[in-house]
Amino acid sequence: MHDLIIIGAGPAGLSAAIYAVRKKLRVLVLAQMVGGQTIDAHLVENYLGVPEILGIELVEKFKEHAKKFDTEIKENISVQKITKGDADIFSIKTNKGDFQAKALIIASGKKYRQLTVSGAMEFEGKGITYCATCDAPLFKDKKVAVIGAGDAGQDAAWQLTQYAEKIYLFNRYQELRGDDVVMQEKLKQHPKIEIIDDAYPVEIKGDKFVQALVYQQNGSADRKEIAVSGIFVEIGSVPVSEYLKDMVELNEKGEIIVNPKTNMASCPGIFAAGDVTDIPHKQMIIAAGEGAKAALSAYEYLK
Amino acid sequence: MIKLYSTPTCPYCVTLKKFLEEKKVDFEYIDVSQNEQALKEMIDKSGQMGVPVSDINGEIVVGFDRDKIMSLLNIKE
Repeated sequence: MHDLIIIGAGPAGLSAAIYAVRKKLRVLVLAQMVGGQTIDAHLVENYLGVPEILGIELVEKFKEHAKKFDTEIKENISVQKITKGDADIFSIKTNKGDFQAKALIIASGKKYRQLTVSGAMEFEGKGITYCATCDAPLFKDKKVAVIGAGDAGQDAAWQLTQYAEKIYLFNRYQELRGDDVVMQEKLKQHPKIEIIDDAYPVEIKGDKFVQALVYQQNGSADRKEIAVSGIFVEIGSVPVSEYLKDMVELNEKGEIIVNPKTNMASCPGIFAAGDVTDIPHKQMIIAAGEGAKAALSAYEYLK
Repeated sequence: MIKLYSTPTCPYCVTLKKFLEEKKVDFEYIDVSQNEQALKEMIDKSGQMGVPVSDINGEIVVGFDRDKIMSLLNIKE
């Protein structure tokens, strides 16, 4: 049995682990993959002490840091259910067996929101991709669509200008939104990019691979079709909290509601940190700080 | 014969490549963004377009499926 089990190994989970290990707690980290969403981050320029680094390289530093303190990490784990039993011991049911602990820190972060229109499941990996950083170079001289024109969609469109022949950027609003105004100007002026405002996809067509995207625009029922071979989906993310819905209170977005001072969720002994919580601003450095807070609170709880 | 089809920008490919190197596995690294022939080969073999794809003695694995790759290579944690 462990004192503390941490679910998730992004910046929140690993920062919590380092704090907890240094408090001499018996800690186990369960994760799908070390790094979490940081793996997908392209260039990180706002993590203190590291002026410029690729997400994947920052993850290597996290790993190295966790290793220094002999943190026990199990990867490729998906948590199915959590229950609280006698003497307030938590049981965690996973794809790789059950684990027990006296306290938990949930740092399971967020995952991509999936596209649900007709054809979206069928053509996943067959032209539809959720990782622009990975797959953009495969669409050299091809026509592609980016679904979602928020910060991530804008970034995907910009990455694609290096490769694709033509990029349709689908925006559900009348105008581009997001934090990076400079980027928006660059996109509007780029000859390869066509921004399709106030539009959303309704169907994806193809045979073995994607061939076309059908969409509706300006509230009209008319269906328009464009030929594309790649579809990059950037429609936001959802918290990974489904397995906890009977244990702790979630807000309307599915985020775990925590006490901002202690990071404790509605169930005593369960703490949470990072993007899976209702703390505003989903940022790596905030997640790391929140993870440290959660670990110190868990230490107090276990004393 | 082990082949890793990859793009230089793909974080999971980098993770998988490092993993194979750590486990001292001999493999051929193929950048499909620079090699259309290899890209076609990868799509034919895997029936899909996402990277990474590994060809482990004829068995095709899409993505960084750690458990499957470890079992095909017969390596332990």
